[in-house]
Amino acid sequence: MNMDDAAPTPSPATRATPIWRRPVSRRAVLATGAAGAGAAAVAVLWKGTDLSQILNRVQDPTRANQGALSDPRVRAGHLLRRAGFGGTAAEIDRFAAMTSAAMTQTVLDYQQTSNATLDAQLPTLDLASANGPLAGAVQAWWLQRMVQTARPLEEKMTLFWHGLLTSGLDKAGPAQLYTQNQLFRKMALANFDDLLKAVSKDPAMMVYLDTENNRKGKPNENYARELMELFTTGIGHYTEDDVRESARAFTGWTLQGGKQLRYTTDSVFVARLHDSGQKTFMGKTGNFTGDDIVEMLVPMRATAERLSTRLFSFFAYENPEPEIVRHLADTFQQSHYNVGAVVREIFGMDAFYSAKAYRALVKSPAELTAQTLRVTGADPRAFLAAANAMAPMGQMLFYPPNVAGWPGGTSWINSSTLLNRINFTNAAARRAPAASTAQTVDQLTAILIDGNVTSNTRDGLHAFAAAHPDDQAGLLFMAMATPEFQLN
Amino acid sequence: MFSRRDFMKQGLVPVFAGSAVPSIFANGVAAAAADSPQATPNGRILVLVQLAGGNDGLNTLIPFQDGAYHDARPTLRQDTGVLTLNNQLGLHPNLKGLKASWDAGQLAIVQGVGYPSPNLSHFASMSIWETASVQGGIGDGWLGRYLNYLDKVGESPNHALEGVSAGSLVPPELRSKTPVTALQSLNTFRLQPVNEHGTQVDVENPLMKFYGAFKTAGPAPFGALLDTTLQEALQASQALQATDATYQAKATYPAKSPIASSLKLVAETIVSGLGVRVAHVTLGGFDNHAREKPVHDKLLLDLDQALAAFMQDLAGHGYGDKVLVMTWSEFGRRVKENGSAGTDHGTAAPMFLLGAPVKGGLYGQQPSLADLDNGNLKFTTDFRSVYASVLQGYLNAPASELLGGTYEILPLLKA
Repeated sequence: MNMDDAAPTPSPATRATPIWRRPVSRRAVLATGAAGAGAAAVAVLWKGTDLSQILNRVQDPTRANQGALSDPRVRAGHLLRRAGFGGTAAEIDRFAAMTSAAMTQTVLDYQQTSNATLDAQLPTLDLASANGPLAGAVQAWWLQRMVQTARPLEEKMTLFWHGLLTSGLDKAGPAQLYTQNQLFRKMALANFDDLLKAVSKDPAMMVYLDTENNRKGKPNENYARELMELFTTGIGHYTEDDVRESARAFTGWTLQGGKQLRYTTDSVFVARLHDSGQKTFMGKTGNFTGDDIVEMLVPMRATAERLSTRLFSFFAYENPEPEIVRHLADTFQQSHYNVGAVVREIFGMDAFYSAKAYRALVKSPAELTAQTLRVTGADPRAFLAAANAMAPMGQMLFYPPNVAGWPGGTSWINSSTLLNRINFTNAAARRAPAASTAQTVDQLTAILIDGNVTSNTRDGLHAFAAAHPDDQAGLLFMAMATPEFQLN
Repeated sequence: MFSRRDFMKQGLVPVFAGSAVPSIFANGVAAAAADSPQATPNGRILVLVQLAGGNDGLNTLIPFQDGAYHDARPTLRQDTGVLTLNNQLGLHPNLKGLKASWDAGQLAIVQGVGYPSPNLSHFASMSIWETASVQGGIGDGWLGRYLNYLDKVGESPNHALEGVSAGSLVPPELRSKTPVTALQSLNTFRLQPVNEHGTQVDVENPLMKFYGAFKTAGPAPFGALLDTTLQEALQASQALQATDATYQAKATYPAKSPIASSLKLVAETIVSGLGVRVAHVTLGGFDNHAREKPVHDKLLLDLDQALAAFMQDLAGHGYGDKVLVMTWSEFGRRVKENGSAGTDHGTAAPMFLLGAPVKGGLYGQQPSLADLDNGNLKFTTDFRSVYASVLQGYLNAPASELLGGTYEILPLLKA
């Protein structure tokens, strides 16, 4: 273990970190003189101006302007989109009546929420037969979970892990991807080292990155390289020798025989296939196993910063400020690498509810599809069709373009994907049971896009409603075809 | 000429009363139709074929006489059927179409292409190739810079189809100041707003207004991105729908082959005279760390058959001498096969340039199997030298300016 990379002793400034998160606590901390050296240094700059403004500028440039997010209903809609797949009218009402802290608590402590209704509606997947379920059945099953779950963050984190610790049906089989998906769900907010140890032995991952035939004397570098480059530290923190040596450490885990490789869902450690010789990794020498490698990689500061950046970028906005990354990385290291602790911090940040965060993410096809179906209402047959419709939008579940997952962000939007997004919302609106209930322009935009639209959009929707008084589905479609709906 | 960028800059969002086809789009179509390959000074078209995942160069252009090759590849070596090019080198047995092009003098092969201090990460190395910079990064792609150049000198065909990519994502090579078009199929590349009676509803005009207002009211960069993309999408789909009815393939493309479908889509876009300048298709699946042989054999077969149909189709439409095809991959693979009958990430590999514009033959030097760097080939030709040769020798563009450096020009192309 390299102590240089272990969690740092918190500096006084770090202990006082939450001062820049909430105006009340910041003022309170300073007023009582409990601020550490860092805050005291900031206070030197204070010459009679409102202190909170200076702190905003120095510590968190994004906090000052909440913009549309000062409205409780917009805050509720924002959190429900980011932590899940958008709210229904009832959910937005319920969340808008809560404090931000209560909203965060409700979203995060989802274990308290029963998912019995969803479980009763999910189809039974054929996991017993030799080849398991069809790919489409597993895709539809997951999409239905996103749409009907009572625990949105659980599915959102599962989607996060599928994009980071990804595997694909181009190599692994549907039952393996199902098993991996359930692992992500079970460990959605777990400690990162525990998750990576489990993923290293996960059948889909073992097939996708070839650990299943990484044998003593015949090492295969694929998994070891991506574990460092993509899952933990990122490029620049390891050498090609580290790749070769750690590949040896991961030998020994293989898949139980009996079935064809891609249909096998049990992994097993076979001692004779493990290279028990000395390996030199990150300057340390020992008889390392794969778990040892994970335990050396996860405490590294680069891992903490990289995962923190990735989580913040997934939930709030891309390219977070260095002080935000630093705070989240500290949280990660001080909580024994607990992902839930980092996510809780993100939802508690002023930056999360800042103008900079508002509509600062492009809806992924999964988010667009799931929110559309949540709003339009979906019958059981809709999920398979919708899962297929995601492919031309650029994101077919369980088919990442490569081991780096989907690049996301602005790459979701190009001429082809935009047309397909608009066409999908039209098709969904046309078959929507909800469309039979008349809804006004204001009701629709309140649910879909926070009621926060340009006057062009509002006037245009009213004009459409006036010109097509009998076409409720058309109005629903038009509201989802707006530029506002393309963003999250 | 009023360039597309000028149009974007001025933010003209015309109001189109009562017409499903906004007039600016009609102009776009008209301009495109006039843009036959003969009508512009530089009607040359480059098609990039990306072999994603790291193609095994040693099992593509095979040093079949080299004992070291056979020693390094006990299970993966090609023992029989190699299509010999000379007494040392031959093509993989499944590259019969490329061999025919070689025999016709229309295949140039650059050997041992790579770059200094090779990066063995897929993504870092792809980025290096895509940006033509050993730093990689998120700037404009090397062909995006070419499109910027066309715009600057007034040779831009002035619509969304000058850069076309088959697939759901725009590849980083084509990142440029002006958007390019990602195409998956012509069927889906249009708005399909019908009501429950199957009647077409006019949504283009309202949506143009929504997106136009959001361009500045929405958050940067998304407001502008969405507005520009919608305009490009409607413009390009109008042009493509208008020509789709007339295209007839002049070759039989293999069925159930994604690379063939991609190339067919590109062929249709090219031969419809819509002013394509650069196109990009991807064939993935080359990252064969285990059980490589059946997978790689199939990939090369699919590639070869798709390219053969593509070239025949283009020739049948009179575009044979106006299109250059170039393959690339982020790296080759380790010389010695691993214990899983596969190969790990490597370095240098050959590039293929295909079509009537090339001067057929072998270029550069085959890397030595006896002089390796950590088990990997030492590159002999810098990939930017190949790019420079194409930019300068074929596209008549200032290679040094676009690549940010001067590289040796290889005589790969006819004048």
